[in-house]
Amino acid sequence: MRIKVILLALAVMALVAAPAFLSAGLVNASIQMLIAALFASAFSLLCGQAGMLSFGHSAYFGIGAFATIHAMNAFNGAGLLPTPLLPLVGGFMGLMSGIAAGWFATKRTGVYFSMITLALAELLHALAPHLKEVFGGEAGVSAMRMPAWGFTFGSNVEVYYLTLFWVLLCLVLLYLYTLTPVGRLTLGLRENTHRLRFLGYNVHKLSVLVFAVSAMFSGVAGALQALNIEAANYVVLDMQLSASVVLNSYIGGVKVFLGPAIGAALMSFFGYAVSDLTRSWLLYQGVLFVLVMMFLPDGLVGEIARRVREGRFGLGWERLSAGLLFAVALALSVVGFVCAVELAQRFFSTDYRSMVVGATWPPVALFGREWLPFSVVTWGLPLGVMAVGLGLLSFASRRLDPERGGAS
Amino acid sequence: MSTPVLSLHGVRKSFGPIEIIRGIELDVVPGERHAVIGPNGAGKSTLFHLISGQFMPTAGEILLEGLPIGGMPPHLVNRQGLARSFQITNIFPGLSVFENLRLAVMRRFGLEFVFWRRASRLRAVTHLVEELLAQVRLEKRANALASELSYSEQRSLEIGMTLASDPKVILLDEPMAGMSHEETEYTVGLIREITKGRTLLIVEHDMDVVFSLSDRISVLVYGQIIATGTPAEIRGNLAVREAYLGEEAS
Repeated sequence: MRIKVILLALAVMALVAAPAFLSAGLVNASIQMLIAALFASAFSLLCGQAGMLSFGHSAYFGIGAFATIHAMNAFNGAGLLPTPLLPLVGGFMGLMSGIAAGWFATKRTGVYFSMITLALAELLHALAPHLKEVFGGEAGVSAMRMPAWGFTFGSNVEVYYLTLFWVLLCLVLLYLYTLTPVGRLTLGLRENTHRLRFLGYNVHKLSVLVFAVSAMFSGVAGALQALNIEAANYVVLDMQLSASVVLNSYIGGVKVFLGPAIGAALMSFFGYAVSDLTRSWLLYQGVLFVLVMMFLPDGLVGEIARRVREGRFGLGWERLSAGLLFAVALALSVVGFVCAVELAQRFFSTDYRSMVVGATWPPVALFGREWLPFSVVTWGLPLGVMAVGLGLLSFASRRLDPERGGAS
Repeated sequence: MSTPVLSLHGVRKSFGPIEIIRGIELDVVPGERHAVIGPNGAGKSTLFHLISGQFMPTAGEILLEGLPIGGMPPHLVNRQGLARSFQITNIFPGLSVFENLRLAVMRRFGLEFVFWRRASRLRAVTHLVEELLAQVRLEKRANALASELSYSEQRSLEIGMTLASDPKVILLDEPMAGMSHEETEYTVGLIREITKGRTLLIVEHDMDVVFSLSDRISVLVYGQIIATGTPAEIRGNLAVREAYLGEEAS
């Protein structure tokens, strides 16, 4: 317990100190990470705690973003809504739309619930381009951050602190929510709605409430996004955002409170770092998701939390060496896999097609070496490295975890 | 006999063309332990679903202390003072035993949409949960996950949850199903204890349990009650013997 508090305090201090050490680009990436973390936490209130998997959460994020942009233009930073309070608009509109959509969606459970949320979000996404007044068509709507309370909000460091404040506030509120009676009942929704009903609870009302709270915090996340980029485009309503929040949350672990936030922060950093380097980053993201689901179904943070709970962090030379071997093996597998994918991606690209003249297939330069398309080395080396890596991996994981009998 | 706490008049239930419950007349008086027995498929579970709000009766009326509850949704039936357990264990498997009971208890204090108080600081709730834990003898398992309990412990937990709303009438649907002899004896003792001062309506297949536990017995055959009486009367009833008991009790 005490370790947890110390770790959290350190994390918050690191977040507060971060802009002093980061480049402008990284500060921007950090803002994105914070927003993604809040969005995933809001989503996981519904998905992880209440057990309702929504496939349409981009809708509430988007509604929050557009509401904020319009509020920025309408109030111009004056009156009752100076820039720092704008996320309240996003939250309020998220809440309202959450009540409306949640009332329908929570009439059903399981797959049917997911389908309704998906349909509602797609409805909004399809409608948006036609409502130019509201969603601004292809160009979207833009606005300006106005100075307030002695801040200009001109630099992205100030935006970072604004975002950090709201994200931390929302995370604290979301955590406190889990401690309240209604927060406990939310877990009951996940575990057994049928029993809840026969204990005298109005399950539908309760589900709508949870849905609306989740949508509200999603709206705040959307608002922060709008404040950050000073624009909103209907692309934000796309299915892709709904899908990525699902993936991010599960990678972190939906059933641990900070799991989704950490998962989302990691994945959006991964996107930021890798998307400039390779066009295949979505593939890597997908593979990562599949692997986490297969081998760590509780998610990254969930797995750590489980091990701490079971007290399985005993150190010793035996485990340390096995752990080291595991890390090396993992690195080898990743290197092999990435090489193979990158080579394949280059050989199958249209650029390469245009370079082929007749029967001559030129080599491709990658990682400081020339690779020929039909040479054994080109494919044998990466795949061989990967195979060795995987072999070692299964050996190491058996030594690390004898009772589990391998990595599964 | 005093006025019935629960009474059914001409209750019928059809699923499509098939009529499962065919005009039931039943009066349960306050404070009695009333068992419903009958062969498989007689409609015992359907009867419980009708009373507890899971199903809506096709015809007839169900009165709880004179108030019609037929067709009322389950959560409102529960608030009128009728709680039930299920034939298949129905608990919150991923939550602790304590949490299971806390969720069951909170409703009684009107704690449904409360997000400004900490659940762990609700003294009255915690106190009541501890009382219930003692009543169903699960104090030592309070922090275990409900899914980790043994089968009979889970059934005890479910009985505890059924008690949590302080109901006037308790419906237990085969609470002893699948239990060993020792577990059954234990649970019968538990039911005796916890139903003091309450009204119990129970469906059970174990005839020893039924005849030793209940004050009155109703026999349900093909959706109709063919006899109601004390255990001795039922034992002596010829129609009952023919329809049902002959196979199991003699």
